[in-house]
Amino acid sequence: MGALSDPTRRAILGRLASGPAAVGELARPFRMSQQAVSKHLAVLQRARLVRKLRRGRLQLCSVEGSPLREAAGWIGRYRRLWEDRLDRLGRYLEDLKRKEKRRGPKAR
Amino acid sequence: MAPKQGDAADREIVISRVYDSPREIVWEAMTDPKRVVLWWDPRGFTTTIAKMDVRPGGAWQLTMHGPDGTDYPNKSVFVEVVRPERLVYKHGGGAKGKPGANFTATWTFEALGRKTRLTGRMVFPTSEARDQVVREYNAIEGGKQTLERLAEHLARR
Repeated sequence: MGALSDPTRRAILGRLASGPAAVGELARPFRMSQQAVSKHLAVLQRARLVRKLRRGRLQLCSVEGSPLREAAGWIGRYRRLWEDRLDRLGRYLEDLKRKEKRRGPKAR
Repeated sequence: MAPKQGDAADREIVISRVYDSPREIVWEAMTDPKRVVLWWDPRGFTTTIAKMDVRPGGAWQLTMHGPDGTDYPNKSVFVEVVRPERLVYKHGGGAKGKPGANFTATWTFEALGRKTRLTGRMVFPTSEARDQVVREYNAIEGGKQTLERLAEHLARR
């Protein structure tokens, strides 16, 4: 949760957006131990934003999916967020009508 | 997927609903902060609206509070306000001092007798705008997961 709430993790994603990198390579600009960076990577992996791949003996990290597909995916999810929100607006409007109906006859 | 096709579609959302309410009522629900907070958040979240000055150039400051205590600030500026027909705002990103993630939302309220068709169109022109979307989406997904975990935890007791 909150995989993207941390500035280091956002920076790691930013770095990986330009291509895969080894963990050690990722650690360098952050002045952090490899261990600390590995922890951040684990969070990003759990959020399915980053995956690990093997190239020969080297273990590399890369962003999950192509950036374009990612963008399309996010937009799709954002759409769902708004679909849900508009459904809640619909329920709110229905509640409002019910309340007014209940009030109506009494007022007369 | 064909990489070209998507360009506009990948950056744009159009959503629509027909509500069985007159458009004045739908307009109020969308523009009165006291009403907006009643339907804006998913379960587990709360929303505070510090400012909602619904007129061209007016500011809209909304903060979603996640179930884990994280705040997600949102800032917008109204561009066009034609009551009760059309509402346009530019979303300007969140946290103080950070460059705005610009996307424009255009809402139209179409009267269909006593009903209203509400249509929203959101266009995300930049990668910053997309990142903002990622943050908000993650916030909400994260919140849902927290609630699911809590429910599981309670069920197990």
